[in-house]
Amino acid sequence: MSPRRSLRLLVVAALLAAAAVGLLRSSSSGPDTDPVRTVAGGLRCPACQGESVADSASPIAAAMRQSVAEQLAQGRSPAEIRRWFVERYGTDVLADPPARGVSLLLWAVPALALLAAGAAALRTLRPRRPEEAAGRAGPVARRRTPGSAAPPTPRGPTARRLWWVSSAGVTLLVVAVAVAAGQTGRPAPAAPPADPVAVTLQLARDLEGQQRYDAAAALYREALRDRPDDGIQLRLAFALLRADDAAGAERAVREVLARSPESPDGLLVLGLAQRRTRPAEAPSTLRRFLTLAPHHPAAAEIRRLLDS
Amino acid sequence: MTAGPARRLPAGRLTALLLVVTVGGLLAAGLRAGPEPSPAAGDPTPVPAPALAGATLDGGRFDLAGARGQVVLVNVFASWCGPCRDELPLLAEAARRWSPRGLRIVGLNLRDGPEAVRALLAETGVADLTVLPDPDGIRAVAWGVRGVPETFVVDRDGRIVARRQGVVDRAWLDRWVAPRLAAP
Amino acid sequence: MLGDLGTATLAAGLLGATLAALLWLRVALLAAPARPARAATTLTVLAAAAACAVLETALLRHDFSVRYVAENGGRHVSVPDTVTSLWSALDGSLLLWSLVLCGYAALLARRRHPPRLHAYAMAVVSVVATFFFALSALAANPFRDVHPVPIDGPGPNPLLQQHPAMAVHPPLLYAGYLGLVVPFALALAAPLAGDQGRGWLRLARPWTLAAWTALTAGIGLGAWWSYAVLGWGGYWVWDPVENASLLPWLTATAFLHTARVGGTRHARWNAVLACASFVLVLLGTFLTRSGAIASVHAFTESPLGPLLLGLVLLAVLAATLLAGRRDVAPAETPAPPLLSRATAVLVNGVLLVTIAATVLIGTVAPLLTEPLTGERVSVGPGYYHRTAVPLAVAVLLLAGVAPALRRAGDRAGVRRLLVPAAAALATVAAVGLSSRPGLPALTAFGAAAFTLTGLAAELGSAPRRRLRAVRLAAVLAHAGLALVAVGVAGSSAYGQVTERTVRVGETLRVADVSARLVSVDRSTTGGRMVVRARLAVTGDGTSRTVTPGLWYDPARDTAVTVPRIDTGPWRDTYLTLLAVAADGGSATVRLAVNPLVGVLWCGGALMAAGGLLAFGGSLRRRRRGPAPPARPATRVEVAA
Repeated sequence: MSPRRSLRLLVVAALLAAAAVGLLRSSSSGPDTDPVRTVAGGLRCPACQGESVADSASPIAAAMRQSVAEQLAQGRSPAEIRRWFVERYGTDVLADPPARGVSLLLWAVPALALLAAGAAALRTLRPRRPEEAAGRAGPVARRRTPGSAAPPTPRGPTARRLWWVSSAGVTLLVVAVAVAAGQTGRPAPAAPPADPVAVTLQLARDLEGQQRYDAAAALYREALRDRPDDGIQLRLAFALLRADDAAGAERAVREVLARSPESPDGLLVLGLAQRRTRPAEAPSTLRRFLTLAPHHPAAAEIRRLLDS
Repeated sequence: MTAGPARRLPAGRLTALLLVVTVGGLLAAGLRAGPEPSPAAGDPTPVPAPALAGATLDGGRFDLAGARGQVVLVNVFASWCGPCRDELPLLAEAARRWSPRGLRIVGLNLRDGPEAVRALLAETGVADLTVLPDPDGIRAVAWGVRGVPETFVVDRDGRIVARRQGVVDRAWLDRWVAPRLAAP
Repeated sequence: MLGDLGTATLAAGLLGATLAALLWLRVALLAAPARPARAATTLTVLAAAAACAVLETALLRHDFSVRYVAENGGRHVSVPDTVTSLWSALDGSLLLWSLVLCGYAALLARRRHPPRLHAYAMAVVSVVATFFFALSALAANPFRDVHPVPIDGPGPNPLLQQHPAMAVHPPLLYAGYLGLVVPFALALAAPLAGDQGRGWLRLARPWTLAAWTALTAGIGLGAWWSYAVLGWGGYWVWDPVENASLLPWLTATAFLHTARVGGTRHARWNAVLACASFVLVLLGTFLTRSGAIASVHAFTESPLGPLLLGLVLLAVLAATLLAGRRDVAPAETPAPPLLSRATAVLVNGVLLVTIAATVLIGTVAPLLTEPLTGERVSVGPGYYHRTAVPLAVAVLLLAGVAPALRRAGDRAGVRRLLVPAAAALATVAAVGLSSRPGLPALTAFGAAAFTLTGLAAELGSAPRRRLRAVRLAAVLAHAGLALVAVGVAGSSAYGQVTERTVRVGETLRVADVSARLVSVDRSTTGGRMVVRARLAVTGDGTSRTVTPGLWYDPARDTAVTVPRIDTGPWRDTYLTLLAVAADGGSATVRLAVNPLVGVLWCGGALMAAGGLLAFGGSLRRRRRGPAPPARPATRVEVAA
């Protein structure tokens, strides 16, 4: 053995050994793995698509991570925790389905595919003697002697008949789609599409929730420009009232009352506005409100106001 | 577009065809079954409700075990969830309508801040709702909650008889709550 | 108005496609003149283009009396987003789908030789087009009118509105999917066309290459989009939609290889793989468009499900009955030696088919198990990591072995593998001893080193002969695959993430990167609440400001995170704003460091470039006139 060759062997051996050590070292999980993350990684976030509890940003996944952490702190084993989650969420919650029952399909199908494709590949590669090949192709070839209903060249009436049959097939396809479409029908869209007015209103309501009544009123005005509507006008009046613009509220609500003088909400807002602008007229407006809508959610409060 | 008179198919191809038809049938059946496992309906087999007890938002105490004999509607909600906001007035109305007949409504408030909840309750006009805060969501997870809003009906014997993922509507309440209440 | 016009174009398209199918059949069966058939195909593609144009016009003019516009348009949506919202929902994307399909049909119709093979193939393509036009016109007409006409619409899904990749990703993907209809049609036509059918592989090659390139680019862009937009820092979650795009890619890749090397010996493989690719396209369409494989996001039950399933079964039926029926007597081609490219290509085929079967069963398992057991089995990424990933590593290794087997039966080939093997071992040793990336990532690194070294040696030895475009294309595509493997392995093994609620002024840290929350700003613009967190990020010795955001869109009641990525040469710093306290004083932020993601995108681009180069080469060869009879040509290629 030449020195060059033995050197080469030595290098290969050293590389092999080093690679083996590297693989070995890498296969054992490091000491820094977080047990919560490991368990959460095996659970599927029920509110998301394809994400594990460990990765998902959804609140319910965050809650589940917390729950895992708490149970680990109580000294439960990962298997127990997984079972706990399965009891509550079903086997669906496990990122990896257990290999039993129908889930066995998940492992059987790839194995079968590998076997079948491998067998097909072997058959393609196997050296075949000419006579064997001829024997294999024989029956097919015999059935396909030219002229005897061979698909390659149908002629004359056969071809014409075939064309008619195929045409009927294509037409049938279209008819089938039409029938199926008519049968299933199209379900109404899940939600009516929202429009920008609704968006503006939602934003305004959110602003009201944050007690920013001025900003909310501005948004209601914007919405009214696009869609004149008494309901929005009333909300505007109410927001103005809460923004301490009683005069503005009164102006807004009077427009509503001019159209529908019996509107209980209109009377309510008007009455409340009048308590600031002209306190003398307020009680009579509010009493009219009470007679018109004795069961209004605000009725009890108004009665208390009037009594005090 | 099969050309020529029917010829006997080789066995391998016949098997493949059969396989395809079977799988196709299964897929069609799966399609029919629909995407949701138990589409919004109730749970057919009642299961005992997990424990639910603790301090409420207004400083009181609630214990589900102490509510035996009442039908309890547990609504998981949060102020950051838009649909919850829409559904709360309906729940408040149900409470007004059915509390004389033994309905109790409890809100389980998932991962939320007390101020935000109070603002939400005031705004939707349900300030008197019993609310159990669940700041880290552990209680909701113990109930198997998948998202907000989610609603459970617990019957007089403390069993979950129905659950709904997503917003509840009047029809659902009429179907799953009303029959379990005391006669008016 | 526009709605009626649109419905009319759909009707014209349905009529044209049906006519085209019948006329092309006449050409094939009765040797009728091809001119009327060609005219019908032209009519079809014009109708498809008109339908798309009408819907686009309706979107741009905010004509909310058209159902699709009412459901997906919006006055607040910017013009580019309005243009792309043509394919942001099912019915509109079906129109684009028909347009691309008809485009392929029109291109294929321009070729004339060999006449019968083409006529049969055109008939198959036309039948498919008829089906999709029927679907558009009868079951999912986007032009139906709405009463009452809404003032405005919600706009397309906000997730689709914020990344340029979304503008090109669906059209590219469709170009890839539908290009596969040509090899499918040719494979079906070949046994019907008699002797003319022999040359179908050579005809199918440029189409398959074009489709494969578009599909590769489309998948890559889709991954890039989900990385840049979805906010959790991942690019592939084995979600049904992603799997549906991967399935035909796998079989088309296998087809490209067997068609190139095997000669007549691989006839059966070629036919089956060509058919399987398009059947998988249809199956994927069924799975993702019918709402069958549902997620929490799928709410509408689409009537298209049973129809698409019917089409899948029809295609499988046609393929089983027709494709590969002609048993080519393999006597003339002697069995290749065991160590040859023909063997490598077959092993590659076996591996890719197995991966495809794995991904397929994982994707349809929920649908299959439901009627059997009443319970939905869920399949998560863990399943694919244990099944598909090792097989993919094996494919990568094979890509490194194949160039060394250039000369069939050449013993020196084995010796040529020595250097790559040493490089692989050295990589495994170095990486494994310096860090703990885990077994799959480590083997992927080793396999990538093996393949890259082998390819480099191939390039190095090339200049003596002029490097043919085809060889260069293969080198590029295989190097791209290796780089993708490095990117995937590196980002999944070395990625680090932390998620915490921090007050303004506090700092998050991961690895050597730190992010200090500077401020939280809120604003309301265009019907949408926008919150932005300003973070000062320090790492790699530099400091910069990154502002991830959070949109709340009340029209759809969805909150959308807008992550920000700070891209470095070797790693990305990925910041996502998850939540903000009501007082604006603190924010929940997710900080991730993703190494080697850039390598992944480079690899994808390289693969697509390789596909493009091969496509160009195959076109050039075709232009040089009719090639000599197929068999000697393939023999030369085997030997080359």
